[in-house]
Amino acid sequence: MITLTRKKANESNGQSKRISIRDKLLVKEVQEMEENLPSTVKTSFPDSNNLSEFYLTVQPNEGLWKDGRFKFLITINEDYNMMPPKVKCLTKILHPNISAAGDVCLSLLRLNSIDGMGWMPTRRLKDVIFGINSLFTDLCDFDDPLNIELSEEYAANSEKVKQRIREHVLQNAMR
Amino acid sequence: MSEDNDKTSYDSDSSKPDKMFTLKKWNSVAMWSWDVECEICAICRVQVMDACLRCQAESKKDIQSKDGACVVVWGECNHSFHHCCMSLWVKQNNRCPLCQQEWSIQRLSS
Repeated sequence: MITLTRKKANESNGQSKRISIRDKLLVKEVQEMEENLPSTVKTSFPDSNNLSEFYLTVQPNEGLWKDGRFKFLITINEDYNMMPPKVKCLTKILHPNISAAGDVCLSLLRLNSIDGMGWMPTRRLKDVIFGINSLFTDLCDFDDPLNIELSEEYAANSEKVKQRIREHVLQNAMR
Repeated sequence: MSEDNDKTSYDSDSSKPDKMFTLKKWNSVAMWSWDVECEICAICRVQVMDACLRCQAESKKDIQSKDGACVVVWGECNHSFHHCCMSLWVKQNNRCPLCQQEWSIQRLSS
């Protein structure tokens, strides 16, 4: 009885209302995302009651990172969908657009992007998933790097960098 | 035209049967919908003619006590959204989320 009254008191504080906007959007978006997953990615929810934090595993089937297994943590804060989700790469990776700390450079994850490709509330989780998946193929961009060192090396000797990436995948990110 | 042909053929036979039915009334039906670019608010994904997700989450009493209902806003680009949703977004970025044009209000629903 005591807990029930306390629960009701908390609900009337109005704190639960603001959370529910994000959660209402997520119920639809997570389902849509699951139905449209590319064949190279998998999702997993550590807490099935919480849709706002989950892991994404990408296993590219082509390109420089082919046969690797890269895990990302996706966190959706309460200010979603006015703000983009937060994405962190948890696997060690050599990639021009992913830093050593795991920060991901993807224009749709940026709020103020110059090219008009930035975050918009019309974007959905499935767009984020497609974006991250494409970082290993089409969206990989050595000319707009987060890992500047790697990009400079690539400009000097691209074959050498490609080989280094392949070796790094074999050592750190095999399935 | 075919009726005339039938008549003549039946006249010659002089065994014309009674009509099965006659058309007494013809009703045409028109369909209509709101003349808006997108009927679903692309921000909260609720129909623009309904209250937005945020207003729905608040109790109806609250909405009435505030400055009226959840209205629709049209931009110069002809895209429409809930006014509530759009005013939150323009604080971040003053562009239409659908066409990226600079956002300026064309009109509001009353």
